[in-house]
Amino acid sequence: MFYKILQGVKVIEYGHLISGPFCAKILADLGAEVIKIEEPCGDEARRQEPLLGDVTGLERSGLFLYLNMNKKVVTLNPETETGRKIFAQLLHNADIFVENNPPKRMKELKLTYARVKKINPGIIMTSITPFGQTGPYKDYKGGELVMTEMGGVGFLSTREPDTSRAPIKYPAHLFSHQAGLSAAVATLGALLYHRGTNTGEQLDISEQECVMPDVMNPIYSYSYTKRIASRAGPLSVAPHHLLPCKDGYIHNGFVREEHWQQFVDKVMGHPAWADKEIFKDYPTRAKHWDELKPLILEWTMPRTVDEIYRTSQENRIPIGAVYSPEQVLQDRQMAARGFFVEVDHPVTGKLKYPGIPYIFSDIPKEAPTAAPLLGQNNEEIYCTRLGYTKSDLVKMEEAGVI
Amino acid sequence: MGIAYLKGIRVIACTWGWAGSWTGSILADMGAEVIKVESKRKLDNNRWHFKLGAAGGVNSGEFNFTNRGTKSITLNMRKPGAVKVFKELVKISDVIITNYTPRVMPSWGLDYKVLKAVKPDIILVSLPGFGSSGPNKDYVAYGPTIQAASGMTFSHGHVGEDPILAGANPADPAGGMWGALGVVAALNYRDRTGLGQNVDVAQSEGITSYLPEIIMEYSMNRRMRPRMGNRDEIMAPHSIYPCKGKDKWVAIAVGTDEEWKAFCKAIGKTNLIKDERFADQFSRWQNQDELDNIISSWTKDFTHYEVMNKLQKAGVAAGASLNVEELINDPHVKARGVYIEQNHPEAGKSTVFRSPWTSALTATNPPAPCLGQHNGYVFKTLLGMSDNEITKLTEEEVIY
Repeated sequence: MFYKILQGVKVIEYGHLISGPFCAKILADLGAEVIKIEEPCGDEARRQEPLLGDVTGLERSGLFLYLNMNKKVVTLNPETETGRKIFAQLLHNADIFVENNPPKRMKELKLTYARVKKINPGIIMTSITPFGQTGPYKDYKGGELVMTEMGGVGFLSTREPDTSRAPIKYPAHLFSHQAGLSAAVATLGALLYHRGTNTGEQLDISEQECVMPDVMNPIYSYSYTKRIASRAGPLSVAPHHLLPCKDGYIHNGFVREEHWQQFVDKVMGHPAWADKEIFKDYPTRAKHWDELKPLILEWTMPRTVDEIYRTSQENRIPIGAVYSPEQVLQDRQMAARGFFVEVDHPVTGKLKYPGIPYIFSDIPKEAPTAAPLLGQNNEEIYCTRLGYTKSDLVKMEEAGVI
Repeated sequence: MGIAYLKGIRVIACTWGWAGSWTGSILADMGAEVIKVESKRKLDNNRWHFKLGAAGGVNSGEFNFTNRGTKSITLNMRKPGAVKVFKELVKISDVIITNYTPRVMPSWGLDYKVLKAVKPDIILVSLPGFGSSGPNKDYVAYGPTIQAASGMTFSHGHVGEDPILAGANPADPAGGMWGALGVVAALNYRDRTGLGQNVDVAQSEGITSYLPEIIMEYSMNRRMRPRMGNRDEIMAPHSIYPCKGKDKWVAIAVGTDEEWKAFCKAIGKTNLIKDERFADQFSRWQNQDELDNIISSWTKDFTHYEVMNKLQKAGVAAGASLNVEELINDPHVKARGVYIEQNHPEAGKSTVFRSPWTSALTATNPPAPCLGQHNGYVFKTLLGMSDNEITKLTEEEVIY
């Protein structure tokens, strides 16, 4: 954990890949005890890139290591009778059950909410699926690419001169994480409401809907004007570009005309060409961008990202530094806030991880624990908590239960 | 059916723009009473930005979308009298949220220490672009600036090309959701311990937290993850293909060999199953350009919905690239009640979104408030101020 905010809250996770595990990670970061149930072959995320040193193995995926820090892990085969019994025992003692499996799979495993409720009427079951628990697409398959398109963001990504090229998704699995965060928010709201009442509910989280907030602007525009937003054409505000410089790119995020004027005067030192009629306002600059661009690049290319970023920002001009992952890891701002954390792990050794994007004022921040090895907490949970003997564990392993 | 998870919780929202207001509307969707503090002295940009269609008064589609279900009071916080009233409101509130730059609330004499003295268990959740501490805390932060600093922009682009700007601003809705997390986490903590907190969210770190593959790749292997467009590390086909009609596309993602066989059958090209260029996942990935051409020649004769439904029925992940009109009218989205049309007294009809859980209260909550719509309710009913007092403060432009 990072903070003892949710101390005493018990969570069972039966998740794989990103959205379910990220939801449970957020609860674990806040001090809830999360026991992750993995099938004996392990969460698929264990096989996902990036892999340390490009060497395969179940304990080397950067994605898995990040998503499962601060948790406990047991292996269990819920298709066996004993596995089902143990699963029920674990759910019996929990406040929250987080899962992101297809509804059909949960039915096969006899883990529908109707059944879970019989085991523990007070449990909050947070179910995250591509399209939610109801509606005509509820059994459709998802994934980051499909969700991005079905959530309306894909169609608008990214800005192009025309629409001859296909839309492209955002990097990595941005929206799968947003689904996990949204589910965690709903879960903690529900926890506040149900705790101590012996009533619970199933939270129905659709990954598609977790993408949809990002298309706010086109939605309300459409409701007023029936205009269908497109990725073609210039941006609506000012001439925004990514401009190369000595060691990377900057983003000129000018929102108002005065930002451009201040950039020219205070940051670039008012070059003579700036007075040309064709650069006098946004429409003319946009029209003559091909002439303007080389003049700006002549100035940016000898300068570094940080040099331009800091001088502009100190003059309150919205220039962005397009940081590479390397630059993000070295960013003085994130370093000052302690965002990146070093975590020691028996297989990978010490590595820097992204931490948590928030700081609590009145409670100490603690060192996180590394993602567990496959089955690392079997003995602790099965023997110490549930009363099985070590020889039971051996037999259960031989029988393919754990 | 909605559930008021935060019934009885009162939130003061010192918010503007998208991210902070988004936190407020999420909390309203959970049943909290959210009171937004505004002033004519400096209106929320969103009240006058992007005014469209029938929007009358100081209302816009954007404001109504991002402030749904909240209340509005007007206080000119530059005046000491307004700060006094604000403190009275703090005494009967549970949470304060703000996405102003970290200079603003302290400039009113309202930092966490002061607020805590007024209400010992107050929860203050701040979510500026780069956080309230550190050397860049006062940097100007719009969505694209935040995304640039997070590492997202650098990694966004077509295969082998330069980075490009995102088509929308993911930093704002992400920041708003992290802010809501801070609130519900701190409320749970207060429930158990009786103690408040200041939770400080950095929106830039909120996006970096969504991109572990990119950061961990560098951290582990000292290597930049290449820009991958629509490609996946292992799946192929995994791209977006042209369909019948202008600017119509469909996403297809094939993982396992079983899905590959189902895919080939569904598109009527069973010969591909035996084609050695595509015999296993690795060879499909190696030859994905060729594969993409073959698939495009099939998809272009069908609508994106036809491709999606056909492939999904065969057990293959596929999704139509929906434009905004298709999204609002999609039968699944409609069945789940994601978009709600509200009738706003000044702005007319506009569409809002409910938070992404089916128990959200959007449908039964009122639309976003008109400027100062709840002055009477807050100053008179909640704070017990007299009509004379309210008139005096209005004349003095404290209530303004």
